[in-house]
Amino acid sequence: MRRHRRQLHDMTQQELADRVGVTRQTILSIEKGRYNPSVGLAIRIAQTFGVPVEALFEIDREEDHG
Amino acid sequence: MARQAGRIALPPLPGLVAAGLVILGVLLWMFVAEGFLALAGLGAFGPGILRELGWLRDHDEFQRQAAHRAGYHAYLIGGLATAFVVSALRSRGATLEDSSDWVMLILVALWTTWLFSALLAYWGPRKTASVILSVFGAFWAVFVLASIIGTESQDATVVNMLLASLMGSIVVVPFFVLARMAGRRPRGTGVALLAVAALFLLMFAPAWAARDFKLPSLLAVATLLIVPLVASGIALLREGPQSEEGGAPPDMAG
Repeated sequence: MRRHRRQLHDMTQQELADRVGVTRQTILSIEKGRYNPSVGLAIRIAQTFGVPVEALFEIDREEDHG
Repeated sequence: MARQAGRIALPPLPGLVAAGLVILGVLLWMFVAEGFLALAGLGAFGPGILRELGWLRDHDEFQRQAAHRAGYHAYLIGGLATAFVVSALRSRGATLEDSSDWVMLILVALWTTWLFSALLAYWGPRKTASVILSVFGAFWAVFVLASIIGTESQDATVVNMLLASLMGSIVVVPFFVLARMAGRRPRGTGVALLAVAALFLLMFAPAWAARDFKLPSLLAVATLLIVPLVASGIALLREGPQSEEGGAPPDMAG
């Protein structure tokens, strides 16, 4: 997930975590690319920022084929 | 951008209750009666069972995924350990009494694998190593303090106590220094962790041998003392150079 989107909204990881109902570590791991969120969580994050889901995430081609 | 890496947050209540039950169960098992081990079992596995039944909803999806993946790792290691133990015991024609220490070893291997796999998945190698080193340092500190109080009580002077504390801190401080280093220099800390694990092995192996410990007890202690260091060390060595922040401690019971 693109970290700058959260920063654009001047939101901390903890604030975003509270808004979407997960722990801060989960938001951190999504931003680091260590965890791929469920569709439900991805939609909740996108709705928080008011953007489509695809605006938040990039597909790592190697990982996608791995 | 949140800068909360240094903030220490308490684990949630179910985790504290579970950890309390495990510690209480182990202490009562060691000093009162062996039956109390069941209490530790309730603390270690009870919360996970409640979560699977849907009666405890304190984990988010990432925590659940980490716990489930760790369960598979524990199944693999636990299964392998069980196969080897049963094979060894059957080939020796062992009795049920011989088996109890081996069953304990399987339990230790199962639980240790689950815990460290879950921590590594959830926190990542840097924070996991940092927490493990801090816990080791704290245990050593308590051990050193207890030994100072025990041996110096006969003719204790303040100077003697201070000197003994200073000597003891030589063992304790490196753990806390390495815990601080794990976030910034993962590879160097990884090498240091493997070196500490090797040192433990060299220090303890003759002592264990001389005291004639039973093999399963020896392996269980080695699993608890050395495996966390080796696992964290290898995970840190495999870690990339990018920076990572820490997060709130997860509730990692069962």
